[in-house]
Amino acid sequence: MDFVGAKVRRTSLHDHVLRVVLCLLGFALAAGNAYALPAFARQTGQNCASCHAGGQFPELTPYGRIFKMTGYTIGERMVPLSVMGVLSYAKVRDTTKTDDPTVDFQKNNSLMFATGSAFLAGKVTNNIGAFVQVTYNNYNSQSVGPNGELGRFQGHTQADNMDIRYADRFIDANRDLIVGLSVNNNPSVSDPWNSAAAWMQYTPNASPTSHQFVDGSFPGFGSGGNIAGATAYAYLNKSVYAELGLYGTANRAMSFMSAGIADVNRTKLGGTNPYWRLAYTREWGPHNIMLGTSGMVAHVFDAGSDTSDLNNRGRFKNFGLDSQYQYLLDPHAVTAQAAFMRQVTNYSQNTLNNFVPTYFQADGTLVGPANPSDTTNTFRAKLSYVYQAKYGGSVAFFNVRGTSNPLNQNSGFDAAVGGLVTTNDPNGTGITSTRVNGNLSGNPATRGFNYEGFWTPVQYVRVGVQYTAYNKFNGASDNYDGFGRNAKDNNTLRFYIWAAY
Amino acid sequence: MKSNMIAAFFAVVLVATAGCTNIERSRNLADPTVPGRVLAMQVCSNCHGVDGNSVSPNFPNLAAQSEPYFIEQLNSFRKHSRLDPAGFEYMWGLSRHLTDEQIKDLAAYYAGQKVQSPAYPTGKLGQREAGKVLYAGGVPEKNILACATCHGPDGMGMQQFPRIAGQHADYLVKQLIVFQRTDERPEGAIMKVVAHDLTRDNIESVASYLESLPAR
Repeated sequence: MDFVGAKVRRTSLHDHVLRVVLCLLGFALAAGNAYALPAFARQTGQNCASCHAGGQFPELTPYGRIFKMTGYTIGERMVPLSVMGVLSYAKVRDTTKTDDPTVDFQKNNSLMFATGSAFLAGKVTNNIGAFVQVTYNNYNSQSVGPNGELGRFQGHTQADNMDIRYADRFIDANRDLIVGLSVNNNPSVSDPWNSAAAWMQYTPNASPTSHQFVDGSFPGFGSGGNIAGATAYAYLNKSVYAELGLYGTANRAMSFMSAGIADVNRTKLGGTNPYWRLAYTREWGPHNIMLGTSGMVAHVFDAGSDTSDLNNRGRFKNFGLDSQYQYLLDPHAVTAQAAFMRQVTNYSQNTLNNFVPTYFQADGTLVGPANPSDTTNTFRAKLSYVYQAKYGGSVAFFNVRGTSNPLNQNSGFDAAVGGLVTTNDPNGTGITSTRVNGNLSGNPATRGFNYEGFWTPVQYVRVGVQYTAYNKFNGASDNYDGFGRNAKDNNTLRFYIWAAY
Repeated sequence: MKSNMIAAFFAVVLVATAGCTNIERSRNLADPTVPGRVLAMQVCSNCHGVDGNSVSPNFPNLAAQSEPYFIEQLNSFRKHSRLDPAGFEYMWGLSRHLTDEQIKDLAAYYAGQKVQSPAYPTGKLGQREAGKVLYAGGVPEKNILACATCHGPDGMGMQQFPRIAGQHADYLVKQLIVFQRTDERPEGAIMKVVAHDLTRDNIESVASYLESLPAR
């Protein structure tokens, strides 16, 4: 993620509007208004814990999943608006092994208003409903002065998760069939299980680089979000769920799904990009389980490249397995999730053509040519417990393994100098190494644990503390960037206050 | 082009369905024309099961429930006089715009359903036997009335007294504790007197016994 060096930009009107709304939210909460419920809760009149297991957003209960699959249409039509805000604080364990801590660990050790979202969410007709999220990032970019000095942060608003659906349900004593269509901008955002790639997450993270190590790695789809697709799904007898979809670039009539994202940053897809999902579910007593698989093939153009040149197009093939177990019996909510995602990346022809090996091995030999493809295997497991929908905690393990590739190396040795290439380039060769985010091995291996404790004093406010601990980062436990930085140096303590109205 | 096609397709679906509400498959809780039977299928079944036999003990079985009791409970939720958290968190909102007619429909629908034997009964044999004794005879030394006095010899209920045979033990335990320790269910004030001197063991025993009663 590159948050630094962005051009100075004017704050737009909608940024101001969102700021005002979020300030009002803050005042409302500070005033102790206990009658506030987000849009879906207002629509059904129910407590958040009806749909969210133990009240922990975004994880759904069996009822919450049906609410989503039936197109957010249970209840009555209300003003479909909600807002959400996150205050966040992070402290990275070691901020000394860097050339510039103000760049590598922005806003370290300081509490800030990180991000806020506005939602257009709820029932539209008896068959159509929507979940449309627009997010304001208070630290989207940082101005740079004429002499390279860093200036103020600037906020920015853009499209976030969007899921607009049509659903119907055919149910009687012998059959229960839910069918639906979803138009969305993020593969698996339409999925009702929390172990799906788009949802196996914690409270929204902040973008300053002090937060870059929070949460660790997630199984995800190579295409990422801000694209546009349509999926069709069916859920039969609360037993088998199947979904099929196709994705493309979020442009033309679908450009609202990537609104606010500069064209150069918008994901451009070529050809047909299929997505699929299959899951088996079962409920017994207070228990329920899901075993699932999903996958996608995405043809993605290199960022900012000419989309008329197919040599700029790479391909991601994802195959995932995921499972979830819940025990929900008041006042207890236990959830166990495990997800695995294999991703095979085939780089674009131009990426490979333009790659010129620059680094040397420690023994003085030039690193090899780029491998045309890479495979990464990402695993994540999480166990959480919530008592009385108020007091909760979780522990998670994440592990990324994959092939090594000189293409992914951004630190290395210089045979001529006989040592590590420096982070600046005094000789004008255009070859530098990267500290903190450097990768000396070209291997993605990253492994660690997440620990979290939280308190939900009222159902729309959550206060939590997280600790992310690494024992491997960017391919190594020790000296992963070549400058002596170890994986555990990235361990991060985070504190947050999340609120929604 | 692909994006335009997706948008156009969805626009057509939106227009085609916006005006034609299918009452027979509606999930609209504010539409008085939706029959109670439809709401039972489309909404209530999510927690209470299609036939009123719920899978999760978090939610009570409604199958074969006494109609007067059922109607009274939904009225209590609707007018916010039933205050136990498990009830109001789920039921206040869902019931807020139900009409008397819809509530009657729902009561009739569930009264006509058959109770299934619990798939996963809880409690041990000895506990159930102790519960059976308590149910039939009360606790004379504490002047605790026999449950059968009002709920019938087989727990089938009558009029305002609910059917409790085949109910989830966990639900029965929680409700007995609500009656015993709170005033959150004023419509069942008589139960506060009955449950006042019950021990935790008494409560769990009688709940296990009732849950284990064969389907009828």
